[in-house]
Amino acid sequence: MDGFSYNKILFAALTIFFTINYGLILQGIIGKIYARVGRRIGIRLFQPYFNIIRQWATRSAISHGVMYYLGPVFRFTGGAGILIFTPLILDAPLFNSFTYAGDVVLVSYFIFLGTLGMALGGGEAGHPYSAIAVTRGLAQTAAFEISLMLAIYSIAVQYNTISITEIIRAQQGGVLNWTLFTNPIATAAAMLAFLGSMMRSPFDVVLAPQEIPVGPPTEYQSQFLAMLMTNRTIFPVAKTVLYVNLFFGGVALYDSYLLTFVVFFLKTFFVYLWSVFVGVSFPRFRVDQSIRFFIKWPLLIGVIAVVAANIRY
Amino acid sequence: MVDPIYLIVIALATAFALGLFRKAPSLLPYGLTLAALAVMTVISGSWAYGILSGSLEGTDIFTAGFTPPVSINLYMGSLEAVLLLLVNLTALMTALVLRKEVKDTSVYMLMLLLVFVMGLNGVIMTRDLFNLFVFIEIVSIASAGLIALRSNLEQLGAGFKFVIAGALTSGFMLIGIIFTYYTTGSLNMDVIASQMSPALAATGYTGLFLIFIGMIMELKPFPVNGWGLDTYEASVPAVSALVAAGTTSAMFYAFLKTSYMSGGLFVQAAAVIGGMTFIGMNVLALQQDKSRRLLGYSSIAQIGLAVLAYALVALYRIENGEFIVFALILTHALAKALLFWLAGIVGKDSIHDWGVIKKKMILIAPFAVAVSALLGLPPFPSFFAKWDLVMGLAARGGMVWIILILSGSLLEAVYLMRWFGNAFKDSFNEEDTLDWRFGTVLPVFFNMTVLLALGYLSASQSSFSMGFNWILLGAVAVLMVLDFLPGIIKNLLLMGAIGYYGYGFVMAAESYRSVFAWIFALGALITLLPGFGVKGKRMGFYPSAALMFAGLIGLIEAVDFMGFFLSWEIMTLGSYFLILRGKDSKPHALSYMLFSLGGAYLLMTGFAMTYAGTGSIALGALVKAAIIPHSGIIFALLAVGFMTKMASAGLHIWLPGAHAEAETDVSPMVSGILLKAGVFGLLMTAISMGEQSIGPVSLPYVLSWVAVITALVANYMAAMQEDAKRLLAYSSIGQMGYALFGISLMSHLGWLSALVISIVHFIYKVTLFLAIGSVAKRTGTRNMYQMGGLITKMPFTFFSVLICIIALSGIPPLAGFSGKWIVYNAVLEKRWMLQGAVAGAAGIIAFLYLFRLIFAIFLGQLKDNHRKVKEAPFFLILPQALLLGLVMFFSFLPGSLLRPVGEILEEFTTAGALEWQGNMAISDYGYWNGVAVMWVFMALFAVFFLILTINGRRAQWIKQFNIVFAAERPARPETTHFSYNFFAPVRKALGFLEYPFTTNFWNRVSDFLHAVAGFCRRIYTGNGQTYLLQMVIFVVLSYMLTKGGF
Repeated sequence: MDGFSYNKILFAALTIFFTINYGLILQGIIGKIYARVGRRIGIRLFQPYFNIIRQWATRSAISHGVMYYLGPVFRFTGGAGILIFTPLILDAPLFNSFTYAGDVVLVSYFIFLGTLGMALGGGEAGHPYSAIAVTRGLAQTAAFEISLMLAIYSIAVQYNTISITEIIRAQQGGVLNWTLFTNPIATAAAMLAFLGSMMRSPFDVVLAPQEIPVGPPTEYQSQFLAMLMTNRTIFPVAKTVLYVNLFFGGVALYDSYLLTFVVFFLKTFFVYLWSVFVGVSFPRFRVDQSIRFFIKWPLLIGVIAVVAANIRY
Repeated sequence: MVDPIYLIVIALATAFALGLFRKAPSLLPYGLTLAALAVMTVISGSWAYGILSGSLEGTDIFTAGFTPPVSINLYMGSLEAVLLLLVNLTALMTALVLRKEVKDTSVYMLMLLLVFVMGLNGVIMTRDLFNLFVFIEIVSIASAGLIALRSNLEQLGAGFKFVIAGALTSGFMLIGIIFTYYTTGSLNMDVIASQMSPALAATGYTGLFLIFIGMIMELKPFPVNGWGLDTYEASVPAVSALVAAGTTSAMFYAFLKTSYMSGGLFVQAAAVIGGMTFIGMNVLALQQDKSRRLLGYSSIAQIGLAVLAYALVALYRIENGEFIVFALILTHALAKALLFWLAGIVGKDSIHDWGVIKKKMILIAPFAVAVSALLGLPPFPSFFAKWDLVMGLAARGGMVWIILILSGSLLEAVYLMRWFGNAFKDSFNEEDTLDWRFGTVLPVFFNMTVLLALGYLSASQSSFSMGFNWILLGAVAVLMVLDFLPGIIKNLLLMGAIGYYGYGFVMAAESYRSVFAWIFALGALITLLPGFGVKGKRMGFYPSAALMFAGLIGLIEAVDFMGFFLSWEIMTLGSYFLILRGKDSKPHALSYMLFSLGGAYLLMTGFAMTYAGTGSIALGALVKAAIIPHSGIIFALLAVGFMTKMASAGLHIWLPGAHAEAETDVSPMVSGILLKAGVFGLLMTAISMGEQSIGPVSLPYVLSWVAVITALVANYMAAMQEDAKRLLAYSSIGQMGYALFGISLMSHLGWLSALVISIVHFIYKVTLFLAIGSVAKRTGTRNMYQMGGLITKMPFTFFSVLICIIALSGIPPLAGFSGKWIVYNAVLEKRWMLQGAVAGAAGIIAFLYLFRLIFAIFLGQLKDNHRKVKEAPFFLILPQALLLGLVMFFSFLPGSLLRPVGEILEEFTTAGALEWQGNMAISDYGYWNGVAVMWVFMALFAVFFLILTINGRRAQWIKQFNIVFAAERPARPETTHFSYNFFAPVRKALGFLEYPFTTNFWNRVSDFLHAVAGFCRRIYTGNGQTYLLQMVIFVVLSYMLTKGGF
């Protein structure tokens, strides 16, 4: 295979390991923030570590069938795949292991692999709630993806490329070169879509986590759930990294590793926090409401972004 | 050679001799009549053969030893000989059919029949005006007698009206003849024709006009033909056959003779009247559900068409005119006689009772042949005639007439196809019987054979053809003949033929044609495999399938417009018969046929305009057509024509029903393979003609929006279906929307995406239709909410669907992603991002229906009545397995698909072409390494699977229904499987997309036409006096209009 070397396998493994840890810590922090907003004390910072270890170590497990069994595998493959197809840090070989496999189109379609696998797995469990959640999730995804797609088209025209690496590179040389400032309309459209994809309020009826937990993960237990939870730690990070790369200048490799990591943490954390801000502030939409929301304002902004890009570039 | 005068002598003498017998007929007079008719047939046949083969020449026959103007002369030329053969043969057959009627009535019937035939012979041969009048009178009186023979009140009335109307007509004619004799001093048509000059035309105008209008009235023009219609309906079907075939042909020929005589003085009027009749009668027939009256309408319409064709040939000096006119007349006569005889066999008048014809399935064949011939479908003479006429008209600027002729033909298709569909699909009463006798059946099959043979012969007569590969149709004919064999043997034969022929065919196909050649040939072989699992003879299936595949192959092989169009029609016809076989497919097959024909007529017009503009009939002329005036209109016509086949938005309403209701192995044929014919045609147009516009409107731009809206709405509709096959059908519409979008991009990458989508859609849609078809077969329902949990019962089918939905949705690492990736790049290159976003949104909505498909059927809870469902039968699994292998191959090595296809397209444009570095495809914008993605996926999957398995080896596997939800154990699986109205929230938000704009639009068109028909029918009051008044008004108006005043 061209562009392949065996140390890339190691790099990829390290990337996944690094992200799992980062994701777990992030989960702890976000959980804490959520609780404090609600005037609770909240979980311990490292509680997500304990949760996940506990699930991996559970002795009894139940499988409802082959597809059920493979669901988490698909899901984790999807999550890990996006992570290693996306450049985490520009020009750092360790964090660019398989970015040569494809561009932003590949990444944005690969997202669906895991979702589909998990949905099918949950489906075989035979609970109607699982399927109900999937229909909600799919419907909402279809709605917000349009504005994201428009935003991506807009910046693709702006930078004349759909290679994520090239898009990051084009944003180097100062904060004002970020897409956020050079193409604010596209960024706005994308960041609204981002809300839809993060499963937080007001778009969290998909899982309805507080009162009647529905959705495929609910059907799983023990190590199946553990695998889904592990994916849950890396998946939002991978998505956030994608947004950072496309709209917030990505993360360049600085001379100091520490500085690089600090920039990485700060950028991903604050982008992630955007969904949290909105999440703690707004009540939940029903699915049809969120569809109508997404096909109104975000869509309109996206269309403007594309038209503007078409005129300007 | 026997003197043609004996034709008249024999008939007359026999008729008189019959008077010697007793009134109650015995076998002898009947035999005598048959013998007389047989001898007449032989005489006219030998003349026809002699003249056509060149061993004889046209001859004048002078009666009483004098020459004109003293005596009456007859003429026997090639046209006369052929028409005489037709008339006498039809009469002979009619006599055979009438065996029972003769027994029931009297010997008079035979006498009348002979006199009638004698009159027709005379009408055809005579060159003398007055003599013509006399023969016409003989014909009218004899036919009035024949009509009234059954002597019930209705028939007597019809006969009487016929006589009165005939008298009025002959009155006009007689006055005309007198006037003409007064001005020209002769009654001989040839003499008058030789004297014809503008001055004479002016002084003798009234006389010539009266002759003309008299002749026209004999042809029963719209709207003054109520009396004629009654005769068709009231008489014995066999007699109607003779009237429809014999009288109309003879009268039409007489009309031609008088028209030549007047030097074409009235061709414009003839064109108007003919056109009006053709359209008017076809509209009126829409509301008609009595088969014989329907045939009457159709006969008059066809004669209107012939009159129109004659007039147009004269007006526009169209070459090959004789062929055009006579091919129309002969086809009509043969087909119409056949249908009337068939009506006699069936014995039911309402078209809703014709289902009884299925008691002898073989009768469907002549029925289909006759209907196709009347509609001008290949391979019948009328097809070639219409083709030449349209081509000629286009070249001489007669576009209006083309539109008129084609719209009339489309209207005709509505009622004829509806009738055929009824007969094929309607149930019947077991007690009903057919009049199945040697005498009734022989004529039907005889005419069918003659029609087919004439079709073959007339192909070489067309002046706008570069030849056609008859081997293909020959194979179909062989299968038709061998239809009595068991299905498996026919399947082997067909597959063998396709395999044998297909190899050379695929190898010979060049450029992008080879892509479609592969799809068609490979697709044919794979989709025929399930046929081995069907027991019994499966009558009609294999000839139809062969017809469709012959058409598809012909499309690729075609070098000229005619070859292409002919193949297109054959393909349509074959697929129509296939679709019609489905259980509830009657209305859907009809709308499929009508949309296809409509689309085909647009193609025909487009081709004709191309010919008119470039002077070339080769398909390559489309390249030249890019720069001629009206090139935008040509592009639009062709595009809409092809988009009808691709079921683009607005033209799609036929597809869901047609594809969903078709049989298990027909759905993949029509969905996976047939739709690609539209892609092929449109791609050919786009590549040949390049970017076209009408005024300031860029056509590809319009197409792009149509395409993405098609994809969006169709995918949405798919997600809202409860019926799994309808879901797949809508999905096909959506996928063809993507293909259309790719073509509309008019770039290397756009076309590449269209080709790639065509290929992968072929693979996964055939597989999906087979898989879902087998589920429907096993469970006995297509409603997804009645299924569920079938994964344990049909694991392979589940796997097959799983792979296909991943491929269809375009999720990497499977083959479908390549199409998506290319489209993204192509969109950016073209900067059509808005359309791209709509297409992308459609792609995501596709997840909705794909998930629904697999979840509702295979996951969730198994229904109790499906606990004993078995895996799909072997011959449904085998083709799926082969295709899945293909999917995996293209998924592991996407370059093996993209590279050769890309190279093909580099012949046309290289801008934006993909660059390949090893397995990496590089576009101007991005890059993609499908092989790397696949390996990464597999590695990750394997690692995580191992982790889970090592860690979870203690997992307990439980049965499907062993669940708890909402803190309770559910009682029944039915209440636990979530499937009905699956996407309720989406429907709540986007339900407006479901509003049936298109269906309502087409329904309104249909309602409007039917309402017009219902309204216009009121002129047929059934009152003889009204009819006479109408005739007089008609004559007066025609006179004023032709002369421009009095």
